[in-house]
Amino acid sequence: MHVIDNCKQRLKVSVPAPLIDMNGDTLNVAVMVKLEPDLSEGNVSYNPDGTLNRSQTKNILGPHSAIACRAGMYAKVCYDAWVAVCSMGPPTAEIALRDAMGICCADELHLYSDRIFAGADTLATAETIKHGIMRMGRRIDLVFSGHRAVDGETGQTGPQTAWKLGFNFIGNVVDYSVDVSRRMVRARRRVDLPGLYTVLEDVECPLPALIALDPGYRDNYRRVSERLMYARLEKEARRRVADYKNHLKVWSAKDLGVDLRYVGLAGSPTIVYKVEKIPKAKASRRARVVGSSSVEELREVGNLILNIALGEK
Amino acid sequence: MDVFDAVIVGGGSAGLAALMELSKLGIQAVLLESGKPVGSKNVTGGILYSKSYPDGKVYNVEDIYPDFADAPVERRITRYYLNALSGSKVYTIDLTEAHNYRTNFAYSVLMARLNRWFAERAGEEAAKVGGGIVDGVHVRDIVWMDDGARGSRSSIIVTDELEEFGARAIIAADGVNSEVALISGARSKFKPEALYQGVKCIVRLPEDVIDERFDVDGDEGVAHLFAGDISRGHNGGGFLYTNRDTLSVGLVYHLDSLLKSPIEPYQLLNEFLTIPVITNSIVDEVPVPREVDRNLPREEQLRIRFGLSRLLKQYEELRYTYYSKRARLNAIRQGLYSSEEEIKARLDDVRSRLEKEYGVQFTNDYVELEYACKLVPDGKRAMMDKPYRHNILFIGDAAGKGIFVGTRIEGINIGIDDAARAARAVARAKEMNNFSEDYMGRYYAHLVEESPYTDDIRRIDFEYMKIFVKASRNIPTEPFPLFLRLAFMLIQKTTVQELAAKIARMMDQSTLLKIIESNDAYVRIPMEVAERIGIEVKPVAAIRPLSIDERVARMRIREDEVPHIRIRDARSRFIKAMVHLCPTKCYMMEVVGEGAGRGEGVRAKEEGKEGEKGVKAVVSSVILQHEGCIECGTCSLETEWRHTRGEKGVVYEYG
Repeated sequence: MHVIDNCKQRLKVSVPAPLIDMNGDTLNVAVMVKLEPDLSEGNVSYNPDGTLNRSQTKNILGPHSAIACRAGMYAKVCYDAWVAVCSMGPPTAEIALRDAMGICCADELHLYSDRIFAGADTLATAETIKHGIMRMGRRIDLVFSGHRAVDGETGQTGPQTAWKLGFNFIGNVVDYSVDVSRRMVRARRRVDLPGLYTVLEDVECPLPALIALDPGYRDNYRRVSERLMYARLEKEARRRVADYKNHLKVWSAKDLGVDLRYVGLAGSPTIVYKVEKIPKAKASRRARVVGSSSVEELREVGNLILNIALGEK
Repeated sequence: MDVFDAVIVGGGSAGLAALMELSKLGIQAVLLESGKPVGSKNVTGGILYSKSYPDGKVYNVEDIYPDFADAPVERRITRYYLNALSGSKVYTIDLTEAHNYRTNFAYSVLMARLNRWFAERAGEEAAKVGGGIVDGVHVRDIVWMDDGARGSRSSIIVTDELEEFGARAIIAADGVNSEVALISGARSKFKPEALYQGVKCIVRLPEDVIDERFDVDGDEGVAHLFAGDISRGHNGGGFLYTNRDTLSVGLVYHLDSLLKSPIEPYQLLNEFLTIPVITNSIVDEVPVPREVDRNLPREEQLRIRFGLSRLLKQYEELRYTYYSKRARLNAIRQGLYSSEEEIKARLDDVRSRLEKEYGVQFTNDYVELEYACKLVPDGKRAMMDKPYRHNILFIGDAAGKGIFVGTRIEGINIGIDDAARAARAVARAKEMNNFSEDYMGRYYAHLVEESPYTDDIRRIDFEYMKIFVKASRNIPTEPFPLFLRLAFMLIQKTTVQELAAKIARMMDQSTLLKIIESNDAYVRIPMEVAERIGIEVKPVAAIRPLSIDERVARMRIREDEVPHIRIRDARSRFIKAMVHLCPTKCYMMEVVGEGAGRGEGVRAKEEGKEGEKGVKAVVSSVILQHEGCIECGTCSLETEWRHTRGEKGVVYEYG
């Protein structure tokens, strides 16, 4: 078990005093999500040059964001957490927030939407979300983000937000638990060692922390009481989704009080120089299409399988 | 560790009723069910009865669920028939009077659907007192601990999916293949003579066609039972019940009779489907698409395939809307169509497009939606004498309940009655904080003893038999051979009936059962009746029943890499019978050598083949492929049989 507690000194951020009890507070959780194009069949649309046609493609809550929401639900079920979901995006991104609410039964939805935010790279997005999380009206203990977005993102927003907030960061998490009295979070990370093997690493760090979920995250309700609570919250979530607008707060740049130099296009040092498609490799196997309508055709397939089974070429 | 007052194992109709009743009594109860969602492993024939007795109270479904009127039941069964079959001849006896005997109402139901509704209601009620339903969890073991002074033993429940947790009282509602019964040692597995094997298929048919074909109206429905030569000499019979826009068609046989001369149940079902009277009931007009020309370019082939499937879907929707009074009115109310004529015009249009553009032909066949199999405990032989053990109460199929006497077939209502009684026993135990076998268990047994159903299971109800006999008064006696004619004439005379009832009352139960459940009663007499006085039925069309491979391919089975069944002796007679009797063909014979086994040598000798040139006794053994298993339990007697782990195995949509 590694204990991550030195990163705070490195970042020169004051470590919050450890609290034995949480002053009667519940665990406060924020989940950051993103509205993404639905890349499933039938919903996605491409331009003739092969790039994504954004205006024609349906937008939904990103699949990795949905995983982050599941982790938020886990905190709600197991630690009775207060959960807020936040997102930076156009006004239509409230659809993503609504869907997120359906997954994690969120108490509040925060949308950071302003023309100024447009054109933001990961760093500028992290700046916006940092301000949003700081203005949620509660001291946030735990933030969840997805692994990455599906539409050209580098998996940086989560870590950068953590850095800006001065929170501990744990990435590639497949399972976690919180020791509320010690204010510690324990997480299991999936670490792929290229060319070697995949290991599961257990780490522990003090709150506040930001956790980026691995796509392999599974919520693991192991107790009957948790299952019952989950069922109750699931029902509650459906009720809340029906009037999600009442839980929704939309913030402009002014409301957030951000420094306009650090958000949107102005705050984005990234320059996309060129986007290249990687050509597909040609299939190296020989394949022949055999029908299945007659016995003869099937017999042919059977003979081929038999030959292979018998070791003949 | 979580500890609950009551834990219910199994989310069938009985378990859910127990949860509902416990919750109403203010007891925090948790129901565990391995299927997900609840209901996905439940099957019935089936008819759900509500009964009333002059001399005792039974708890009916409407007592448990006050808003049962909204439940997704199918049709109220208002007519009940017994059909004697021989070849294409059929003679029908109206048993509606017997069916109405002590009946408030009876509905045909599809269990998977109905149970989801029950689960919703019971789950809501349970949540009020901190309980609820936990699905996708399979109970693997139960451990008991002595709890002190009064011999009360609380227990720890071990599951495949969750952390261990405690239970003060357990209600076992885990069905005919109850694992809790075996874990607790409350009983051994049911013997084949105490079981029936039922196979069933759900056939789709538009609502109005059912109304017209069975001469019923709207919410009403009919039930038909069949006996005669369909069984190939086995003891049992067939049934056909009308649902809203489906039919439940199936067969039920005594398992011991099947074991005596094993035969594939799906084969019997297919033979049943093709006898004229059944074919005529289930036949429907089915579009048959033409094979796509393979010489066309691939894109063109795809275009045709997609276009065709979309049009076929439209056709089906339109047709089932047009031929259903309710759907028709609904669609018009919702503004989807302006009038009935418009739906008809659209339907005709789609149909002609299918014919012209895609060369679709319309032929007579039937539409099978789902195939299912279930073991049914025969109450009179299977009912547990002591339906409790430690802090466990057994209800419904798990306790071996069910009334099966001739044409009287009841099960769900008895499980629900048990559930209400078990809930009361638990409530009383909780009040005194004494969940012991002596206090809670014996009180439950006492409550069950008070139930009129218990009496009906134990003893044949002669009042019912009298009505049954009366129904046969119109059978003409002349065409029969002397002995049968005499018998019929005798039972048709009121005075003789009284005498016969008196004699029957003096006979002991087992002798009487030998007569009622004899091969003569199941097969020979119905055949004789149909042969002599039956009406010849001509099939209006020929249908092609599905093969078992097609049926299994259509089922939704979540495969589990861990087998839940293990064969004990791959060469035993029982296991070899499973090669035939497994309803989804999971067992296969495998030749492992020649002439080595003693048993095989003996068989070769018996068949007179020993020593013949070139003939050697073949040693075969049986292998099991558990992937297609639908968890009926037919093979459980001589295997290590468990239910699948949570969320695994078969998922029934209709049930």
